[in-house]
Amino acid sequence: MIETWYVILTLMLILFVVLEGFDIGAGMLQYLVGKTEAERRMVIAAIGPLWSWHEVWLIGFGGTLLVAFPAIFAASFSGFYLAFFLLLWAILLRGVSIEVSGHLADPLWRTAWHTLFVGANGLLAILIGAALGNVLRGVPVGADGKFALAFFTDFSPAGKVGILDWYTVSVAVFVLATFAAHGASGLVRRTDGPVNERSYRVAGRLWIAVFLLLIVVSIETWHVRPELFANMIVRPWGWLGLACVFGGLIGILVAWRRKFEGALLLSSGVFITGLMIAGSAGAFPIMLHSTLRPEFSLSAYQNAGGSYGLGIALVWWPLAFIFSIGYFIFVYRYYSSKVKPAQDTQNPY
Amino acid sequence: MEDTLFWSRLQFAFTISYHYLFPQLTMGLAGFIVFFQWRYLRTKLETYHAAARFWSRIFGITFAVGVVTGIPMEFQFGTNWAAFSKFSGNLIGQTLAMEGVYAFFLESALVGAMVWGEKRLGPRNHFLATIGVAIGSWVSGYFILITNAFMQHPTGYSVAPDGSLQLANFAAFLLNPWGLMMFLHNQCAAVVTGSFVVAAVGAFFALRGKYTEPASVFLKTGTLAGLISCFLVAFPTGDRQAKMVAQSQPAALAGMEGRFRSGTNAELNIIGQPDEKLRQIDNALYVPGALSILAFGYDNASVLGLDAFPKDEWPPNIELLFYSFHIMAGLGTLFILLMAIANFQRWRGRLETSRGLLWALMLAFPFPYIATTAGWMTAELGRQPWLVFKLYRTSQGVSEVVNGGNVLFTLIGFCGLYFVLGVLYLFLIGREIGHGPGSAGPLEVAHD
Repeated sequence: MIETWYVILTLMLILFVVLEGFDIGAGMLQYLVGKTEAERRMVIAAIGPLWSWHEVWLIGFGGTLLVAFPAIFAASFSGFYLAFFLLLWAILLRGVSIEVSGHLADPLWRTAWHTLFVGANGLLAILIGAALGNVLRGVPVGADGKFALAFFTDFSPAGKVGILDWYTVSVAVFVLATFAAHGASGLVRRTDGPVNERSYRVAGRLWIAVFLLLIVVSIETWHVRPELFANMIVRPWGWLGLACVFGGLIGILVAWRRKFEGALLLSSGVFITGLMIAGSAGAFPIMLHSTLRPEFSLSAYQNAGGSYGLGIALVWWPLAFIFSIGYFIFVYRYYSSKVKPAQDTQNPY
Repeated sequence: MEDTLFWSRLQFAFTISYHYLFPQLTMGLAGFIVFFQWRYLRTKLETYHAAARFWSRIFGITFAVGVVTGIPMEFQFGTNWAAFSKFSGNLIGQTLAMEGVYAFFLESALVGAMVWGEKRLGPRNHFLATIGVAIGSWVSGYFILITNAFMQHPTGYSVAPDGSLQLANFAAFLLNPWGLMMFLHNQCAAVVTGSFVVAAVGAFFALRGKYTEPASVFLKTGTLAGLISCFLVAFPTGDRQAKMVAQSQPAALAGMEGRFRSGTNAELNIIGQPDEKLRQIDNALYVPGALSILAFGYDNASVLGLDAFPKDEWPPNIELLFYSFHIMAGLGTLFILLMAIANFQRWRGRLETSRGLLWALMLAFPFPYIATTAGWMTAELGRQPWLVFKLYRTSQGVSEVVNGGNVLFTLIGFCGLYFVLGVLYLFLIGREIGHGPGSAGPLEVAHD
């Protein structure tokens, strides 16, 4: 049961990162791939009316974490207090800038919101990356199962750590590059014309950067948390994750060279999914690793909610998941085609 | 610790009150949009089409602000109320997660299609998408109210050996009678807000002499739905709700009424100012026996006063609780009066020509927002000092690792962001109203 919930939570997080990662990455590249106002609007249009649907996976994840592992939910969000509010505010500003930029045709209005949009997306990628880095590295969980983090301490990933150190910063850079590459790959699939061509070129460069950073971050992770890899290679889920990572990378290479647009986006998604499966498989059952003493770490087994509640949730959760596949099919039938350059009329007047 | 508790309460109160300004309008408007679309599909009258599109655009902007202000709510359980999350996550997590995966998934998948996708989806599927959004917004309200009802009147739980609460009976938890009544009361109030806004925009256009056909539709549907929903808010839902408070939370009722001494033939204060030091109501204007009737159905029923409870079980802010309750109830009464006059004029065929009434309808729209906020303050202040009624004190629930200064910092941050967001919202809505329902709406847009 606890393993099932761990898998469900990983799945929700993967869906959030893959879906929202495209929005964030595409958003960061708005000025890089869009040289005219119409082209920049195409980037917004490619993110489309579905950004909130992508974002709700985070809400779904939060609620599910609360029901399945209340103590982990409590410790992690209060421990990252200020950083987490920065994340929430970046999400807020990002959503607002998508929604309102199209309402006025005035160039100053547009530029102001676009700038905020690009900045908030960049900040989001870095914050999500730093959060991932913290979960991989561990946080200073004490004997009471609680922790509070400073933004940084001595930049060393051991002992009394802060949110930022050389390890978490490099993970943040890796996530920034990965989201950007994923976003560029998605823009190739969703746009035509100059935006498509620029995105294609940018995607090529970014994927090379991601590949190099992946090597760096893997070596660093092996140094910081060697047991992650030790677990990964003895567990079937770890193998599945690694297979997805390598399959995704090969897919990206082939699809980029031959310009298979759909396959490029798909491979990109498989690559990210693989990383997250491999990481989760390596970490299980530890959900929050303690940098102070390993025995303080918060494990899934000791921190799960009551079994009756988890059993009930195992009834309603799959049902909701089936429903959401239904909405997905209903909506994507209408919104999977390419954005056309001439169509920019979110402003109806 | 004390600081953290105070600022965390204030932050939650501020962010939730601000957030709820938006969902109450989307929940209230959802039914109107479905109705207008349905009328258009049946009659093919362009007025209904324009009406549906106009309100969909307003819905879209309101929904977006509702989404971005709603996201911090769920996570504040973890950031500011970590001890409470750990204590009751197995229960409240159920409904918070279900709100996400059932209601919010449905709404957010379809809202783009509803606002921007009419041409792309075709009339039938567009209508389906609108119904989906409407259902999603109401289901969302249900799960949140069940979560709150657990805090007001816990059901379906057991206490684990480590002292935390665990789900013990899912049906009892999900069908909490307190939650069902709150849901009906709250949703009727959301329809009141929606009706007042629709009627106010109709009155504005009518006074301006512009868009006369849609204005007439807005006024007629707004005032009719307004009258029905205003009645339902008061009776039976509000009345039943008050009786449940009298039964289960007698200290809250005593606080709401500023009733310091127990006794039979309890009076209902129409106005007054509670004085907690002297334990009396200053300048009270009251109806003898009315509280006994309202709470228990007969005039010599005994109603407990605050003297029947130890001081540490009193709601800590009697004054605010008293004012909130009286503002809600007083405004609710005035709403019935206003809507009754409007419907009387409508029956006489003079609704669109009585300028005084149109002015009143146009200026009345902020008051339902005040009434719903005051209503929620009544419910939440009345529940204090408990976080989960009689099981867990609010002071126990706050995050231990977070300092008060940090919470004050984030609270100030929210104040600034939400001020800007409010200005932006009013500007965009004002623009939509300025463009009116007549102009060509966004039949097809960039989201392609």
